[in-house]
Amino acid sequence: MLEAIIKIGLLIGGLMTAAAYFVLLERRMAAWTQDRIGPNRVGIPLTNIRLWGLGQPLADGLKFIFKEEYTPAHVDRRLYILAPLAIVATALAIYAVIPFGSLIPPFHIGPLRSDQPIELTVAPGVDVGLIFVFALASIAVYGVILGGWASNSKYSFLGGLRSSAQLIAYELPMGLGLLGVVLASGTMNLTEIIKSQAQQGWFALLQPLGFVVFVVASFAEAARLPFDLPEAEQELIGGYHTEYSGMKLILYLIAEFLHMITASFLIVILFLGGWHLPLITGDPNAETIGWFTAIARILVLQAKVVLVILFFMWVRWSWPRFRYDQLMNLAWKIMLPLGLVNLVALAILFEARQVNDPDRLSTNWALLVFAGSWLTFFVAWLLTGIINPLVADNRPQAVGQASSLP
Amino acid sequence: MHADDPNITWIEEPKLGLTGRMYLPLLAQGLTTTFKHISRSLRGDVVTVSYPDEEPVIGNPLIYRGVHRLNKDAGGRVKCVACFLCATACPAHCIDIIAEESPWPDREKYPQSFTIDELRCIYCGMCEEACPVDAIELTSLYNLTGRSREEMIFDKEKLLSVFDMTKDKEPMQSPAMGGTAT
Repeated sequence: MLEAIIKIGLLIGGLMTAAAYFVLLERRMAAWTQDRIGPNRVGIPLTNIRLWGLGQPLADGLKFIFKEEYTPAHVDRRLYILAPLAIVATALAIYAVIPFGSLIPPFHIGPLRSDQPIELTVAPGVDVGLIFVFALASIAVYGVILGGWASNSKYSFLGGLRSSAQLIAYELPMGLGLLGVVLASGTMNLTEIIKSQAQQGWFALLQPLGFVVFVVASFAEAARLPFDLPEAEQELIGGYHTEYSGMKLILYLIAEFLHMITASFLIVILFLGGWHLPLITGDPNAETIGWFTAIARILVLQAKVVLVILFFMWVRWSWPRFRYDQLMNLAWKIMLPLGLVNLVALAILFEARQVNDPDRLSTNWALLVFAGSWLTFFVAWLLTGIINPLVADNRPQAVGQASSLP
Repeated sequence: MHADDPNITWIEEPKLGLTGRMYLPLLAQGLTTTFKHISRSLRGDVVTVSYPDEEPVIGNPLIYRGVHRLNKDAGGRVKCVACFLCATACPAHCIDIIAEESPWPDREKYPQSFTIDELRCIYCGMCEEACPVDAIELTSLYNLTGRSREEMIFDKEKLLSVFDMTKDKEPMQSPAMGGTAT
């Protein structure tokens, strides 16, 4: 009980701080990409110490707290208040099953003691971990739709609609992308998936197609550029949170960053080996580990997550936003078929291996499965390029000659 | 306007090659471009000027439109002949001139008072263009501040003192009028 409370405290504190500092990092990245400096002035209050702007998140938070929390008269009050709570609560609840390290060994420090190794997951041993994550990720859509609907404003409503369509569309390829991981590791427990990768290799290398599909879909799920249509400022002012201000707005913004952090955690855990890094993270099969290995695993996992988040931010300024029809085409005509191809190809390969090499000892079969998945990846991508369902003519059709345009 | 309006010219999108349709060049281009910018910024090569820690570099002070000055001629007299052309040209109506009979034989009038409301001024430079004797000019002083609205109404003495302050750095612009700029 106490253990769980401490872990929850650590996780929520860590996540909130991380979200705040990722806002700062994002602003600095934006500035650097545009040849600017970015916020570097706020340091320790009442002194001239600037600390590279590390006080900025605190100042931003204070600003949001002291802002007037204006509720427009035309909103549906109950839903309007419920929506940001729903989105933050679900975004945080996902972390119940996400491991943020591996184990810590038994210890005895003062009054604190533990005779068993402690797993660094709030709810260890949840065998439906992945299903739990995706169920809650889907509920997060409610926060967006409710916010858009309750605001009773056109921009919010359009943002909410776009978001719901987008999130539902990209959940399918996301699920298909990770089914390959479930097939290969034989479990939905995130801790076990990491262990399985430590044994057989990172799934990003073993299942490149699934990895690409999953990464693209998680960008869309986190509503990050180039898929940030739900809140495209140039078109929708702010999208579903147009009518929000003060603390309710900051809840939405935190939830957005939490979604990005969740997506990074999932990418790292499912495809990039979690805490596993060859040579320094010890024997994955060991029941208990030393302090050095325990800390190394935590650091490796967090470092990977930060790197993926840096990639998220880098991508944000690299590519322009998709048009809405392109977004939908990408989801239904490219990502969904690619996900299916990935799943079917992997299933065939695994089954063939299972029949011919049930003990998984033959190197030849391992190489064959590896080569097969990479071949699938290249062929599928090439075919996508040749068939090219993304190119669509969306010019307004002339009246009466709708079919004459190419 | 309908889609079949003859005034509309439809332009075909450039056709993408196979690699383009596989998104490869786009991915690479986007990431390399931003990576170049990020690495350049991290090395300190940024366009931001950390004012007031450092002062901005003004490209050509002769064409910069900052605080006004009233030029003096070689004898130290105000060059202005109180013709009111600047006040007429001013779109913000911020120039107020009171003319008086000139004490000197070479001109009829001179400004007894010449005030510019620096807060109303939009720094368009039309007074400078209108002036027939190049008496009013905009300098490159950009950091104009004051503690009250009254303080920001510059009178003749203040404008002449701006000339004394800037005459070495920014010569008068027209050689024909006694200026030294080329």
